[in-house]
Amino acid sequence: MKNLLNFLIEVGKLKGKERRGWIVHQIKKPETTAEHIFHLAILAWVLGKSKKLNSERVIKIALIHDLCEVYAPDLTPYDPLLPKDKKKIREVLEKWPRFTLALKIKKEKEKHKMETAALNKLTEKLPQNLKMEMRSLWREFEEGLTKEGRFVQQADKIANFLQGMDYWKKYGKIQHKLWMRWIKEIIDNPILLKFLKEIERKFY
Amino acid sequence: MEEKNFYLTKEGLERIKKEYQGLKNLKLSKTKGEIPKIWHSEDLNPEYLSFQEDLSFLETRMIELENILKNTELITAPPKEKQNIVNLGATVFVKVDGQTDEFTIVGTLEADPALGRISNESPVGRALLGHKTGDEVLVSSPIKTIYKIRKIKYRIS
Repeated sequence: MKNLLNFLIEVGKLKGKERRGWIVHQIKKPETTAEHIFHLAILAWVLGKSKKLNSERVIKIALIHDLCEVYAPDLTPYDPLLPKDKKKIREVLEKWPRFTLALKIKKEKEKHKMETAALNKLTEKLPQNLKMEMRSLWREFEEGLTKEGRFVQQADKIANFLQGMDYWKKYGKIQHKLWMRWIKEIIDNPILLKFLKEIERKFY
Repeated sequence: MEEKNFYLTKEGLERIKKEYQGLKNLKLSKTKGEIPKIWHSEDLNPEYLSFQEDLSFLETRMIELENILKNTELITAPPKEKQNIVNLGATVFVKVDGQTDEFTIVGTLEADPALGRISNESPVGRALLGHKTGDEVLVSSPIKTIYKIRKIKYRIS
């Protein structure tokens, strides 16, 4: 019980961890990691229903997908480009961060290493079965090993996109055209593409 | 089970075959009541972890893999005279809104946009297919974006 309590106290910290992507965009009182996880779990559950996926698995993967951020940094695609001078950040945000293939591979490897270490630390003292379940669910998501993992991977991007559109309408600080371009490169799930069309209708 | 073709590169197909064989062995040990040695290690292949306590999920995954293997279409490089056209397996170098980028067009199972591998079923992947070097490919609704194809390469065998 002691280890479960400590785990839950650590996970609870995500309720106050504001997502860096929105901080970079200078959004006041931005969404926290826990809020993002909540939104994704609901989104993946309701949209995953019609895809004949295992709902329990989908929801668990969504719940676990960002838990590593208790210890791992919340990286954004802009990180390698961000200047120290905060006033110049706007200029960076005007273009979508694109990198060479070599840099993409390097960034992904580093991110994966940090996040694996963080998740291992977080789950280290949990009972064996729970620890294994959490780690394997996370890898299903990270590496797209199962159809549930692949679905939540894309649903995660949609949840992020939806939040970005919401901020764009409220504060106008999001380069929505760049976001729209990005999302069309990465989503291929028919249900999520249909949902994307609905988002377009709502926000344009 | 969804009946559709799964486009895979040779490497992708090998990975699927290996996983299927691994699960088959695991199922055999489970039904015999043996505890596979791999379970004792925390560093084991992640695919097998999910199936530790859940035989029905193991079977579901095996059926899924069987379906993939039954409906696989191998992605191969087209003949040289057709390598100026974007097809599955092509790496496409583009210019978009003044920025350069490259995408390799693969099937959904191997797509990983963070590493530049985009799905042939994504709106951008679909739009690029069939185009040649120099073409300007329009991806619209509601924002219009033009992808200018600078170069096409086939890095697969």
